Amino acid sequence: MSEIDLGLGILDHQLVDSDGHHCGKVDDLELEGVRDGTPRVAAILTGASAWRGRGLLGRLAAAVARGRLVRIAWEDVKDVHAEVELRRTAEELGVAREDRARRLVERIPGASL
Amino acid sequence: MKNVFAIALGILAAIGGFVDIGDIVFNTAAGATFGYELLWAVVIGVGGIITYAEMCGRVAAVSERAVFDAVRERLGFQVGLVALVAAQFVNLLTIAAEVGGVALVLQLLSGLPYRALLVLAFVALALVLWVMPFSWIERVFGYAGLALLVFAVGAIKLHPDWAQVARGFVPRAETDNLAVYGYYVVGLIGAAMIPYEVYFYSSGAVEERWRPKDLGVNRANAIVGYSLGGILSFALMISAGALLLPQGISPEHLGSVALVAEVPVGQIGLILALVGMLFAISGAAIDSAFAGAYNLAQFFGWEWGKYRHNHGAPRFTITWAVMLLLGFLVVMTGVDPILVTEISVVFSVVALPLTYLPILLVANDRAYMGGYRNGWLVNVFGAVYLVVLLVVAVAAIPLLVASNMGQG
Repeated sequence: MSEIDLGLGILDHQLVDSDGHHCGKVDDLELEGVRDGTPRVAAILTGASAWRGRGLLGRLAAAVARGRLVRIAWEDVKDVHAEVELRRTAEELGVAREDRARRLVERIPGASL
Repeated sequence: MKNVFAIALGILAAIGGFVDIGDIVFNTAAGATFGYELLWAVVIGVGGIITYAEMCGRVAAVSERAVFDAVRERLGFQVGLVALVAAQFVNLLTIAAEVGGVALVLQLLSGLPYRALLVLAFVALALVLWVMPFSWIERVFGYAGLALLVFAVGAIKLHPDWAQVARGFVPRAETDNLAVYGYYVVGLIGAAMIPYEVYFYSSGAVEERWRPKDLGVNRANAIVGYSLGGILSFALMISAGALLLPQGISPEHLGSVALVAEVPVGQIGLILALVGMLFAISGAAIDSAFAGAYNLAQFFGWEWGKYRHNHGAPRFTITWAVMLLLGFLVVMTGVDPILVTEISVVFSVVALPLTYLPILLVANDRAYMGGYRNGWLVNVFGAVYLVVLLVVAVAAIPLLVASNMGQG
């Protein structure tokens, strides 16, 4: 991977799992080693609870949505371009795959149209 | 040859898909009030939609990013959320206005009660959204909307004073009532640049899997399609100016818009006008419902797109259904759809700068666009339009109040 601007190139970008499914956004980043001068990205944080780190409106939105927080270790990131590609499936990573919404839609005739 | 054919079809769909309830209302009202004097404002609006639709289509073809991907990536969570809330509020008003407009046209065609036709319109639109593949939706409604060209025939047959028409392309503001004049300027620019069009256009480019090889189609659709679509707006304003202004008729309902085609072209003109309006407004209702779902799905990173089928992007599917339902409920309260239309257009002007700034930034970003970044000419247009939109956005609501919604 070439040089990446964390703020512009990763934060708020689309997460895509190993099956090519959209599975949320990079809602926040977990950094480590900031104090000892060798900062690195430890993990990607995704899910509504991760918005808490995104300012006043983020805290407000997180409180309203009351969603989960999923931590994806940096080792599970395969590639970063416009989207952030992951090495595993959303299911394996514990990221929501819209299953509840899918079950609802599938009850209606013609859901596969 | 196949390519030329595809380009021609795309252009036709863009022409038929350009006009919606906002364009119909503001162009006829402006013509009935100021004659041809405000034609220049349509030119500004059409130039704006061409500039930003081309940019959105190019960003989508090169980077596969749609508008609200770019909004979130460039404005961040907080400002992006503000942009999202504003966009969804305006989308909801637009959906309500279009659903109401469909029912009004159905009423002119059938004479049945308005509320029953609202229910019919809602059910029919939901069915189309659920069943039809994306490319069909775009084509069917775009082509049938071409019946609106009857207004161009009508405008010519009304023998307007063409020298006066030509003068309308130069801004003069020779009026005692600057507030009403200004209100119509805002409305005409807002109606031409109504935000759902770029949300839908950019996401549609991803739906149709445009790649850099499709940039020619993108340019043709945006530049030729929307310019020719603008002719429909001119035709509505010129016809209203030639017919309604001398009679002192203000077009408070869509019946007087249809009249504008019936007087010069006859019975067939009336039917073509109504059929054209029915499909153009229905298409806009569908596009704006999809636009709402695209925005939400892109901001939160869900699966989206009609090409994934209803169950393959379930939250997206539920979102468009809910947006359509909410829009339907707004007009079911009995609020006048023409009033909702005017409010939706004025508020969309307020939301536009937050949509267009991130697009301009991304279209200039080497990381996204590589060699397909904006050239200097597009940037000049893009920057000038951002300034124009900021001015119009600041002026919009004061003008709405000062002009008493164009009533003076």
